[in-house]
Amino acid sequence: MRAAALEVAGLSKEFHVRNSSGWGRRALRAVDDVSFAIPPGRTLGLVGESGCGKSTLGRMIVGLIPPTGGTIRLGGETVRASRSAAERRGIQMVFQDPYASLDPRMTIHEVVAEPLRINGLYSAGKVDRLLTQVGLSPDAGQRRPAQFSGGQRQRIAIARALALDPRVLILDEAVSALDVSIQAQIVNLLRRLQRDLGLSYLFISHDLSVVRHISDEVAVMYLGRIVESGPRAAVFGAPAHPYTQALLSAVPSVHRRDRTSRIVLEGDLPNPLDRPEGCVFRSRCFKAAPRCATEAPALAALDGDHRAACHFAEPTPRDRLARLAPADRPEEKTASKEDHP
Amino acid sequence: MMPAPLGSWSMSFAALMLGTILAVIVVVPFLPFYDPFEQDIMSGLLRPGTEQDGRFYVLGTDFLGRDMLSRIALAGRVSLMIALSAVAISLVIGVLLGLLAGWFRGPVENLVMGLADLQLAVPRILVVIAVTAVLGPDLITLTILLGLTSWVSYGRVARAMALSLREREFVLSATTQGAGTGWNLRRHVLPNVMPQMLILSSYELGQIIVIEAALSYLGLGVQPPVPSWGLMISEGQQFLEVEPYLSLLPGLAIFMLVAGAQFLSQRFTPEGAPDADLAAMRRRR
Repeated sequence: MRAAALEVAGLSKEFHVRNSSGWGRRALRAVDDVSFAIPPGRTLGLVGESGCGKSTLGRMIVGLIPPTGGTIRLGGETVRASRSAAERRGIQMVFQDPYASLDPRMTIHEVVAEPLRINGLYSAGKVDRLLTQVGLSPDAGQRRPAQFSGGQRQRIAIARALALDPRVLILDEAVSALDVSIQAQIVNLLRRLQRDLGLSYLFISHDLSVVRHISDEVAVMYLGRIVESGPRAAVFGAPAHPYTQALLSAVPSVHRRDRTSRIVLEGDLPNPLDRPEGCVFRSRCFKAAPRCATEAPALAALDGDHRAACHFAEPTPRDRLARLAPADRPEEKTASKEDHP
Repeated sequence: MMPAPLGSWSMSFAALMLGTILAVIVVVPFLPFYDPFEQDIMSGLLRPGTEQDGRFYVLGTDFLGRDMLSRIALAGRVSLMIALSAVAISLVIGVLLGLLAGWFRGPVENLVMGLADLQLAVPRILVVIAVTAVLGPDLITLTILLGLTSWVSYGRVARAMALSLREREFVLSATTQGAGTGWNLRRHVLPNVMPQMLILSSYELGQIIVIEAALSYLGLGVQPPVPSWGLMISEGQQFLEVEPYLSLLPGLAIFMLVAGAQFLSQRFTPEGAPDADLAAMRRRR
């Protein structure tokens, strides 16, 4: 079997934050024991709500935040904590905000040339080729970021990320700030580039429909952990974890049959400083049982590559999600509010 | 910095004031009558616009009969030279310390900000008076002292901007592509901080001219017979009731330079600064 383009194992990040009293510090587990592998030329979609740690995960992989535990392997080779230039080049990132990711004082040519200059690889022709590759004219190089729209800026950011010929791109909410029509163009550009260059993507997003469109595999993150992962068809077609089921039931649909029910989660994401004991999702789960409070479920295989971290995981086809709606629950859960001091 | 809500007529007026005083400073020394030192007691205290012995005194003469126009022009050169040099010194110190504090944070930041607080706690005019009392009044000492004691506003603004810029995605992106601290500071942080620093410095320029004038007025700055605007005000003080123009004219010169520079600097929104995107859009529309 070929080595995965990107493989992370047991990746964790703890931040130490001051107590509200000002005395002492507490550990905040932003990312907790995350493992996955992305084969060459494939896309892993990473889904989760705001604050679940998906951006921290992306920034650890690209080397902006040092992990507190776990390993990152690029093409089978372990990436050290203090990265060499060559190791940095292999993994590149496209950021969310196309208005903040380009230095307003630079021309587009300078923006795209910067990574080449840092690494002593600059040639004007290469910059022009990169701009052409993302669908911009090389003439655009003389203008400044303020003269471009959000979608065009994101193309420029992609060209910059491609400058060092990476094998893996981390796309952190890369299309979330764009209009829907522009999103589709950028997603199509990303797919074309993946086909042409054999890139692997870690596509981080909170937008399920975009993730569904672009991903081969999907991982769902909740409070720093992956709670479900698997091939796109399995995760979207027959979600097994209650959180995934709730997320998918909330996706707007044009089919009337699908609109009949929603699983509505109560409460907000718990304060990560005060993670529930046992299963992290139990405070909002409609399947929560006493066992969940004592025993944290492991990410266990259900069916081939389809895994879920739930004691009561059962793959449920989407059209039957309705039966799981909270109204059917035998007992009301009570734990949701206590996590908010 | 404040955007410019001021109408264009006030801008033209500011430009006119600044242009007039700069023209006086630059052009007058090349005119044939220019002599700021020649004394002629017989034609002392002539009012502006007086003609005597076949010579026309546009701004009159002082109590020693020296031509006021010539003296105001030379004094302007002296004042501007001191102020520009002091601004340059403080700009370099402030930007350097501010960027290091904002970028490295931790102990560096604490040290720099502690220094800044210390500096603010002691009025700079007091520092200059104390040091001058020991070293004696001297143009170069004065310039350096003013430079060393005026860095705080640059330092604070530069630190605040560096703090925000280091988390900007274009800086993070450069970091993931192998850029080190030096690269990021030089290529991203400094260029984005400089426009604000230049706006600040036009404000500081006015401040320093006023402080230099005050010190010269006290006899601690520029020494006679070299004129400075502050010194001229001080010399004219004893004739204030009979010939107020002796003090009013150099005072007017200070006002024209300082006010002109400041009004114009508010107009100046830096091209391409992080917050200039909006300004650029406004211009295009």
